[in-house]
Amino acid sequence: MVNVAVIVKLEPDFSEGNVSYNPDGTLNRAETKSILGPHSAIACNAAFYTKITYGSRISIGTMGPPIADSALKQAQELTDADEMNLYSDRIFAGADTLATAEVLRSGIVKMLDGNKIDIVFSGHRASDGETGQTGPQTAWKLGYTFLGNVIEVNIDLERNYVIVKRLVMLQGFDGIVEEVEAPLPVFITVDPSYSPNYRTIYQRLAFAKYRKEAIARANNYKQFLKIYDSKSLGVDPKFVGLPGSPTIVYRVEKIPKAKASRKAQLIEGQDIDAIKSIVPKLRPIVS
Amino acid sequence: METFDVAIVGGGSTGLAALKHLSDLGKQAVLIEAGPQVGTKNVSGGILYSKRPRNGKVHNVEDVYGSDFEASAPLERHISKYILHATSGNKIFTLDLTPAHEYQTNFGYSVLLNKLNSWFASVASESAEKQGGGIVTGVHVRDIQWSNENKTLIHTDELEEFQVKAIIAADGVNSEIAYLTGARQKFSPNEVYQGVKVVIRLPEETIEERFEIDTSEGAAHLFAGDVTLNHIGGGFIYTNRDTLSLGAVYHYESLFSKPTEPSTLVNALIQNPFVSELIKDEVITIDIDRELSKEEQLRKRFALTKLVKTFEELRYSCYSSSGRTRLIDSGKFKNFEEMKAKLDSIRQELIEKYNTKFVTNYVELEYSAKLVPDGKRCRMKKPYHRNILFVGDAAGRGIFIGPRIEGLNVGIDDAVRASLAISRSIDKNNFAEDYMGQYYTSLVEQSPYTRDMKEIDKEYLKIFLESTKSIPKEIVGSRYGFIFKIMSSGKLRGLAVGIANLLGYEKILPLVESEETYVQVPIEVALKLGKKIDPSYTPVPPSIEERVARLRYNDDPISHIIVREPESEFLRKLVVLCPTRCYYHEDNKVMLQHEGCIECGSCAKGTEWRHPRGEKGVIFNYG
Repeated sequence: MVNVAVIVKLEPDFSEGNVSYNPDGTLNRAETKSILGPHSAIACNAAFYTKITYGSRISIGTMGPPIADSALKQAQELTDADEMNLYSDRIFAGADTLATAEVLRSGIVKMLDGNKIDIVFSGHRASDGETGQTGPQTAWKLGYTFLGNVIEVNIDLERNYVIVKRLVMLQGFDGIVEEVEAPLPVFITVDPSYSPNYRTIYQRLAFAKYRKEAIARANNYKQFLKIYDSKSLGVDPKFVGLPGSPTIVYRVEKIPKAKASRKAQLIEGQDIDAIKSIVPKLRPIVS
Repeated sequence: METFDVAIVGGGSTGLAALKHLSDLGKQAVLIEAGPQVGTKNVSGGILYSKRPRNGKVHNVEDVYGSDFEASAPLERHISKYILHATSGNKIFTLDLTPAHEYQTNFGYSVLLNKLNSWFASVASESAEKQGGGIVTGVHVRDIQWSNENKTLIHTDELEEFQVKAIIAADGVNSEIAYLTGARQKFSPNEVYQGVKVVIRLPEETIEERFEIDTSEGAAHLFAGDVTLNHIGGGFIYTNRDTLSLGAVYHYESLFSKPTEPSTLVNALIQNPFVSELIKDEVITIDIDRELSKEEQLRKRFALTKLVKTFEELRYSCYSSSGRTRLIDSGKFKNFEEMKAKLDSIRQELIEKYNTKFVTNYVELEYSAKLVPDGKRCRMKKPYHRNILFVGDAAGRGIFIGPRIEGLNVGIDDAVRASLAISRSIDKNNFAEDYMGQYYTSLVEQSPYTRDMKEIDKEYLKIFLESTKSIPKEIVGSRYGFIFKIMSSGKLRGLAVGIANLLGYEKILPLVESEETYVQVPIEVALKLGKKIDPSYTPVPPSIEERVARLRYNDDPISHIIVREPESEFLRKLVVLCPTRCYYHEDNKVMLQHEGCIECGSCAKGTEWRHPRGEKGVIFNYG
C-alpha cells in the first residue's frame, strides 16, 4: 500500500465576477471568495491518479485559518482522500515559506496514524504567493528526494521506486522531458501542464466510481477532518509563524512600465479594409 | 486485452437508455461518450414525450427510469399548451393544437439536454456499475474491426483497444459508426431538417405571465408563415423553467435550393413582433470610460462584473417562487419587499456610480444547431450491421409530421428494443446478423413509432383538422381547400387517408410539405384573420461572431473535418448554410476554419466528417 500526502492551499478566487480590489489596487480579501488554489487542484489530480492506478491511501494537509477547511473539502472531492488535516493556530500567522514548511513537515509525519508517507504531492506555486518555495523547503525538512515540474508519475511497487517525467526548461529549447527514477519516499511538485493519462476502460470506470465516492465523502468532510494547533502538532514556536520566518518584506513596488520606442497604430472595429492594410506590413516581418 | 459484453457508442438520451435497460437486464455494458461530460454535445429542440398508442406498445422514459421519473428528473416544464401561429408582418393568427399534442400522450416535458442527460447518466451508471460496466467520457471511437477469430475490436483516440461482443451505435444523426461500416449512406439534404436554436433567459415568473401558464405548466409555440423566409419548416418556442428554447427547423433541401443563413432564419423569428414581445427583457449594458488608465478600467470592470452578477442572481431568485423561498430560508432576506429594496439599491448604484444603462432587448445564452432526421424519409430499413445495432438519430429515426415532432421518445423506445435483442443474444451467445440484427429489426418494425414513420394516422389527422376548423376553407387556397373539405368529412377522410397511405409518403410529401403549406397558406391566413401586434421595441440579435464567442470550446488544433473537394457545388452552399460560418470563399475555392464548428454535421455529406477527438470541440451548457 502506497501512502500519499497532498499539501494544498486556500487561495483567493481571481476569476472575474468573484475578485475584489481595494481602491489602492491591493486585493480586498474580505470581499473575495477563497477557493482551493488551482495548482493545489492539479496536485490533487496527480494523487487521485495514484489511488486509481496503485490503490494508494491519501491524506491531505493544509495550513491556514479555520475557514481553510473549505480547501480541504474541495481537495477531497478531487482525491477521495481518506483523511484531511488542518493546521490552524494564531501563532502560525505571518509565516513565510520556511515557517510554513516547518508546520507542514510536522503535519506530514503525523498523517495516516504516523505511517510513513511515500509520496508527497504539492502544487507548483500558489496563485497569491508565486514563490514556489514551500514545496522544496518542506521536502528538505522531511529529508525527501525532491522532484519538481513533474508531468507524469508511475510507481514501481516491487522496487519501491517512482519513475517520473519532468518538464525541463532550457534556454533555446522548449519542452524537454526528462525521465527520472528515485527511491521512495519522494516529494513531488506537479507541473501546471500535468494531466492524468487514464488509458484503459477499467481505469476510467474506477475514476468515475471513486469520483462519485469522493463527492459523497466531501459532503461529510468533517468526518474525515483532523484539526491541529501548535501544541497538538508539537512544533517549536520559535520555528513557526512570524518568529520562524527569516523573510522580511520590506516594501512592495509596482514594476515600472517600459518606455515604448516604437509607434503603434491602433485599428479598431471590424473594418475589413483596415485589417487588410496590416497584412503588407506584417509580411516582411514574417518572411 | 480488456473485454466487455456490450459497448454503447454515444451518451445521448438514447445511448443512456440502452445502458440503463441493458444493465437492468443484468448485462454488462460500457457507454463511450466523446464529450468531456455526458450532455455537453447534445442539442434538442423539443419535448420529451411519454406515449400510449392505441395499437401496440412503446417503451417510455418512465419504463426505463422508474415510475418516479417525473418527480426526480430535472425536467423543465410540463407542456400543457401547444399553439400554432401563422405569421405575416405584424399580423398573427393563432390555433390551439393542444388536443393534437395530447393525442395518445401520457406527458410531454420541455427539456434541456445538458441537465437531463447528466441525470440519466447518474442513474444509468449506478445500474451499470452493478454489472461491471459504466460510462466513460472524453473518448472518441475511431474505428471498429473484426479480427479473423471474429473478435470485435474497438479503437479509440484515447484508450488502448478493447474487445466487445456487441455494439449499440447511438452516435447520433452523423453516426460515424454508420459511415465507418458502410451500414448506411450519409443522409442527403432531402432526408434531414436543419435546426438552429438559441436559449433565451427570462425570470421564471415573467415566463409564466407572458405565456399564461402557472408554475407547474409549460407552453410550446410553433410558427409558420413569413417567419420561414419562404422555406419549408418553421419556428418554435418552448418554455423551460427560467429560459426559453427558441429555434428554426427547416427541411435541409429547401435551404439548399435557396440558401439562407441559419442565423438569419432564427433572427427572423426573434424579430417577429409577437415573438419579440414574448422574449423582451431588461438588459444591462456596461460602458467603461476608455479615457481612464488601463488599471482603473480593469478595476472598474472587476467591481462592475461582480455587482452585475449579484444583481442578476438576486433578480432571478426574486422573480421565482422557489428562489424567494430559498433566499428567505437561508436567512438572507426576510421577505419579498426586502429583496426588491436590495435590487433597487443595486440598480441605483449601477446607474449612478458606474454609468450602467438598462435597455430593452433580450438575452441569449447559447446558440446551437443540429440536423434532425426525418424518419419518413431516412429511417434505416436494416438498422444493423454485423453485431452492431443502430438506434435513434443514428438509425435516422424521428417523427416529423406537420406539428408533430418527436425524437427523444423514439430513441428511448429503440434503445429498449436493441437492449432486448442484445440481451437475448448474450444468453444464446449468438451475435450473428440473422439472429440478433434481424430480431432487432422485427422488434423495431413492431414499434408504433415505426408505423407513424410509414403512414398517416387517421385519428391524429382528425384531431388536427378539428383544431383548424376556425379557418374558412376558401382562404386555404383551391388545392388545399378541396383536400381540407374531404378530410373534414368523416367518411371521406377514411378513404382519402387509405388512398394516401397506399400511395406512400414518398408520393404525398411533395404535396403536404410544400412552400404552400408552410409559407403561403399561413401568410394568407394571418393576413386575413390575424391579430395586429404593435411591437414596443426592436430586438437586436447578436451577430454570428458574438454568438460563437459566447460558446465554450475546447479547441482541437487538428480539424475533425477534412475538405476534399473545395470546389464542389455542395460546399459553396455551405458558405451560407453553416450555422457558424466555418466556410468561406478564397480564390474560387471553399476554405474551412473548423474552430467555430458546433458539430451539427450540416457539411458532413460533402466532406470527410468525424466527431472531434475526446473532450475536444464545442461544449454546450444547455443543449
